Amino acid sequence: MQRETEGGRGWSKTVKGGQGWLRVLRRILGAPDYQAYLEHCRAGHVPALSEREYVAQFFEAKGKGVRCC
Amino acid sequence: MNRLAALLGWGGIAALGAAAFGVLALSRGETVNAAWLLTAAVCTYAVGYRFYSRFLAARVFGLDDRRATPAERYNNGRDFVPTNKWVLYGHHFAAIAGAGPLVGPVLAAQFGFLPGTLWLVIGVVLGGAVQDFTILCCSLRRNGKSLGQMAKEEVNPAAGAMAMLAVLFIMIILLAVLALIVVNALKASPWGLFTIACTIPIALLMGWWMKVWRPGRVGEASVAGGALLLLALVGGGYVASHPALATIFTHRGIALTGMMVAYGFVASVLPVWMLLCPRDYLSTFLKITTILALAVAILIILPPLKMPALTPFATLGEGPVFAGKLFPFAFITIACGAVSGFHALVASGTTPKMIARESDARFIGYGGMLMESFVGVMAMIAACTLDPGIYFAMNTTPAALAQASQVLGQAGFVVTPDVMGELASRMGETTLIARSGGAPSLAVGMAQIFASATSVLGGTTLTALWYHFAIMFEALFILTTIDTGTRVGRFMLQEIVGHVWPRFGETSWYPSVIAASAVVVAGWGYFLYQGVVDPLGGINSLWPLFGISNQLLAAVALCVGTTILIKMGRQRFAWVTVAPLAWLVTVTMTAGWQKVFSADPRLGFLAHAASLAGSSNPDAGRLIFNDRLNTFVALLFMSVVTVLIGTSLREWWLVLSGRKRAETHEAPYVERAYAAGD
Repeated sequence: MQRETEGGRGWSKTVKGGQGWLRVLRRILGAPDYQAYLEHCRAGHVPALSEREYVAQFFEAKGKGVRCC
Repeated sequence: MNRLAALLGWGGIAALGAAAFGVLALSRGETVNAAWLLTAAVCTYAVGYRFYSRFLAARVFGLDDRRATPAERYNNGRDFVPTNKWVLYGHHFAAIAGAGPLVGPVLAAQFGFLPGTLWLVIGVVLGGAVQDFTILCCSLRRNGKSLGQMAKEEVNPAAGAMAMLAVLFIMIILLAVLALIVVNALKASPWGLFTIACTIPIALLMGWWMKVWRPGRVGEASVAGGALLLLALVGGGYVASHPALATIFTHRGIALTGMMVAYGFVASVLPVWMLLCPRDYLSTFLKITTILALAVAILIILPPLKMPALTPFATLGEGPVFAGKLFPFAFITIACGAVSGFHALVASGTTPKMIARESDARFIGYGGMLMESFVGVMAMIAACTLDPGIYFAMNTTPAALAQASQVLGQAGFVVTPDVMGELASRMGETTLIARSGGAPSLAVGMAQIFASATSVLGGTTLTALWYHFAIMFEALFILTTIDTGTRVGRFMLQEIVGHVWPRFGETSWYPSVIAASAVVVAGWGYFLYQGVVDPLGGINSLWPLFGISNQLLAAVALCVGTTILIKMGRQRFAWVTVAPLAWLVTVTMTAGWQKVFSADPRLGFLAHAASLAGSSNPDAGRLIFNDRLNTFVALLFMSVVTVLIGTSLREWWLVLSGRKRAETHEAPYVERAYAAGD
């Protein structure tokens, strides 16, 4: 029984760690990260956009960036 | 004890770097291993980063971690986000590195490996990285304002308008020359064209995936896109070997020009999520992984450099790849990788809005540019591992090759048609002669490096696949630059015209979107067409023009940086930006002057036009018009920058002589909310 819990914890840790890496990849790529955005809104007590709206606004802002030669 | 260890350690690194430079400079006749080139570069970067960038960060700009950055003050979870410095380094690097640092060094290899390498390594430490870092710091202290806005506020409004105009013109030349590289790499290459054509439906599919089907799931969409891309790469080989299919994807330069123009227009008009963003994700993935793989492959095989340190063209100035002597043209040909004005746009764009603490700017701004220079050094290595005869046969048109045949023969840079034919068939192409533009020769160099690094896996049989992988890699991010560039050019044009006619300035008003996109596309499309039909290959005249414009933009950025330093009361450190500025102005003005007024028809636009007057060539009229247009463009760049430098000098004098109060538009000091070390 105890083993299972430990195994469970280890697994959830791995999943969490994996999500951390995904988050890093998203940032480097410049991809939208809705979960991070939700956390930001919660921390600042500001109303959050829906995921669809957030993604749409994110891409719109990205389209104004420059890529170098 | 620690001090002693540091002293010995850094002394050792400096001595190793100096020894490596010694080996490179003193090599005469014997082949040099690429390891020396890498050692010289890496030691110089290490010393430059450890000492010079620290001096810039601490003494010149006085970066202060207690001061809140725009990312913290305006954190909105979207564009203003405090970001880990390693993550932001990757993001910033992906935004600044493109085809420029790959192609410039390949073209400059016509002078031998030494001049280009020295300029890449020394230029970046004292010039390019300083420029990127300076503009990043200035923008960081001004809420992430753009270069144009800073020029307007800190120098004067006329300078701001001029800087903006300069950026627009430079963008047009840049897009034309990049498009020309793609056209030259894809003409008569069914494998290449099929692969690149496939990237469009792949990007559309990814766009639909991450916007409509599963909003925000960029990772999944990118993995699917990447897999399809590899499939398209392998499929290209099948298409090329199938006679009926191959003819569908075999096109001449002019047809490809039409396709490029149509693509640029469509990408600028469509919503960004459809084509532009997905392509950007694909190219970022490919860019980072390929550059890392190339570095590892070079380290594994440490190839010998077959190109000599200096070729006769360095002093003769009759090079077949591009005309002109080492000074000033080596410094114009390699812009990105040593100093690139374009980076000032990124360093005053998305990056300053994401910096978590001020001192991170050193690693991201200065360190990011060092990495780009390293990419340039790798491109130089890839080009110089080619046999010089093959290099010159690939990078010049038959007309230019004939003119330079005597010097090439004396230097022993000759190659038989059989060798070229065998090379082409190994790369899965019909011919590799006269594939100017740098991309194909870089691809051959990369393919050979990758193939020998993976030879244990039977890699040499995969050479053709590696060649087309390298072509796809270059073409993919050139296309990314073309679609974002056309779009940014469109926004600029809309903003400029919007001052006179506000309706036109609405970025979502369709008539304005279409008209502005058409104007921008027509602008670069014209220069592209001119390059494609040019009997000397086009790169010959367009690449120097691009180099001049990019370096002049760097001069604009350094002018703004110097003005800000003087207004901050740091005039005794103003030499950090004035020295590279003086060098760039000397180099670009000399090059611009020679391109316009040189009596040599291969070099000077006007002399070339005069040599055509009264000739029986049916195209003479058009060629003469193009020479005059190029003259006009070069003179326009030069005069814009002259005016900008003049107004900056006046501003410096007014402030330094106490006639004007030194007023900067720095954002007020706000203490960081996060604890130190957070």
